[in-house]
Amino acid sequence: MKLQLVGLNHRGSDLAVREQVAFQGRQVEDALLHLRDRFPGSEAVVLSTCNRVEVYTASEREELAPSHQQIIDFLAEFHGIESRDVLDGLMHQSGEEAVRHLFQVTASLDSMVVGEAQILSQVKEAYERAIRAGNAGPMMHAVFQAGLRVARRVASETTINQRRTSVPSVAVRDFARRIFERFDDKQILLIGAGEMAEETLRYLRDEGARRFTIINRRAEKATAMARQYGGVAAPWESLTAELIQADLVVSTTSSDEPIMDGARFRPIDTARYQRPLAILDLAVPRDFAADVGDALGVYLYSIDDLAEVCEKNRQAREKEWPAAERIVEEETTRFMSDWYYRVTGPTIKQLKDNFAELKEEELQRLFNKLPELDEKSRGEVVRSFDRLMNKMLYPPLASLRDESREGTPHVLLDAIRRLFQLKD
Amino acid sequence: MDLNLSISLTCFTASYAVALVLEISRLFFRSGIRGAVMLLFGFAGLVAHSWYLAALALTSPAGGVPLSSLFALFLIAAWLLAAMYLYLTYRNTRHSIGLFMLPVVLGLIGVAYAFADDVAPNQADALWLWLVVHIVCLMLATVTVSVGFIAGVMYLVAAWQLKHKSPESGIRLPSLEWCEKVNARSLTISTIWLALGMAAGLLRNLGLWYGDSTGGVTWSDPVVWSTGLLMVWLITATVFRALYRPARQGRKVAYLTVISFVLLALVVSIELMMPAAHATRPASVPATAPENPA
Repeated sequence: MKLQLVGLNHRGSDLAVREQVAFQGRQVEDALLHLRDRFPGSEAVVLSTCNRVEVYTASEREELAPSHQQIIDFLAEFHGIESRDVLDGLMHQSGEEAVRHLFQVTASLDSMVVGEAQILSQVKEAYERAIRAGNAGPMMHAVFQAGLRVARRVASETTINQRRTSVPSVAVRDFARRIFERFDDKQILLIGAGEMAEETLRYLRDEGARRFTIINRRAEKATAMARQYGGVAAPWESLTAELIQADLVVSTTSSDEPIMDGARFRPIDTARYQRPLAILDLAVPRDFAADVGDALGVYLYSIDDLAEVCEKNRQAREKEWPAAERIVEEETTRFMSDWYYRVTGPTIKQLKDNFAELKEEELQRLFNKLPELDEKSRGEVVRSFDRLMNKMLYPPLASLRDESREGTPHVLLDAIRRLFQLKD
Repeated sequence: MDLNLSISLTCFTASYAVALVLEISRLFFRSGIRGAVMLLFGFAGLVAHSWYLAALALTSPAGGVPLSSLFALFLIAAWLLAAMYLYLTYRNTRHSIGLFMLPVVLGLIGVAYAFADDVAPNQADALWLWLVVHIVCLMLATVTVSVGFIAGVMYLVAAWQLKHKSPESGIRLPSLEWCEKVNARSLTISTIWLALGMAAGLLRNLGLWYGDSTGGVTWSDPVVWSTGLLMVWLITATVFRALYRPARQGRKVAYLTVISFVLLALVVSIELMMPAAHATRPASVPATAPENPA
């Protein structure tokens, strides 16, 4: 059995690289389809967020599992780039390392903002998409369900995510607050109406913001959000006009290309008379080209600009870190033990089947010789044989479980197969 | 209370200087008690400063009015700024406002010291009240120009930090919006104070001329024309800000207030260095501050 992870995240690679391989909206389903066609013997989950693009694959038979180079080639091919372009900061982990990493991700220990709640729903969504696409099988079920359990344990047994923290909250608290003294008199423009936009909107409302305009390519989503939060929905075509009016822009679209660049922003800047404008571009790939930030009154922040602040957040939560790490370690050990034990499954099944077959033969022979036995006596004899069989099977099975804690017990499996003459 | 205490100029200057050193130390290391110690030194300085001014007022020839000389004028301006510093730092000890305010406070004390040998104007003068109005308004103009300058510099530093995506470590500043508001208001208010101050001076001068009194200031006096230059600049800047929309917000207001402060420094330098009718200091006596006015 082989479980591996190939991907990029905020620790190892720049936003410029990550945005080239990010999967937007329907692209995840397309990628899952391609992965299934290309590697039919392998399960796969694609996790693509603003801070990470990770492809998890698992296969019962190692020879059917894709190599990490094949996954790199797939990423490059899917996005129409060269394989070497995604190598910068690329992460490849397998087995226990990959499991530990997934558990850290779901528990929000690997997040840019440690303790943020969003990553759990993003992992769930990635897993559910894989189920819907038929890419998730028993191995992915096992590892992702264990991951969700780890997240619940870390949330309930530590205080690491006690304060509501998220990328939007850090962006507002640590950057927008340095520009604006108050938000109640500011015109706020939300571009995109996804989960991140909603989270930002909630946080801004808590901070006192009252005047929201929501713009989205799918107008009905913007209208629904505006109705829910008491804002105003505007058509996508009015983006330029809204940017002229706005004081704070939060952009979270899933657009493949920047929705605004320096050349298109110049007339907007002129119409604003250099009035300060804070732009929090929380989208990956970026919605606002870097040259928009060259305008005098514009303060443009992308996800990567939040990195240092997030590192501080990480340090502030260091006290709770060991407890959370301990849970991750415990769960990783437990999962790996179960995982390795799964490898012994076919052998154990064969062993049990053989014993059951022998038991049935012997019982049949005995009952033929003793036809005078009534139902009650027969029942007692069957139970006695069952107990005997279980007692005889217990030592080899217990040894297999013990050995599985350290890894797949190949030697012991081989010994059992030879001792009990089990055939493939 | 016996004011015959050993309160001296050095005493409160040193307190402010220690508070400034503590502010500077923010750039290098973190400390849990620094905020409290800084406030303590700032407060001690302000108390000593207040007593010194009270003693100065009691010994003033103007009888309880400390604004009898340029020495007192600049000390009061410094006191007002120090009080503002304490208030703002108390409200938010995380902000490095002192890093920008305390050098100006110390600078004003230094300027006051340079005017220490100033001779108080003659109270027998019938138009002495106009002189007090003139001095008070100019003092308030000095304070507001200084506040505008401090807010302007803070705005520029904060804008630079934000443009360069610097995290808020080391120098923590109020929001751009706050700096901009203080900046813009101080530009308008300083224009009003300076206009009132100059009008009071003009009326007094006209009164002296028409009343055949001596002591009027000639129009060619360097202090008169340099203050006039500052006045013209402040009016121009205020009108420019009102008419030119890009100058209403952002860096341009900050630049305007920084230039205002440079011109104020020019006026003070002229007053200190050039022979003028405004200078009431005896030419032969070196500047020495009254260590213990009481």
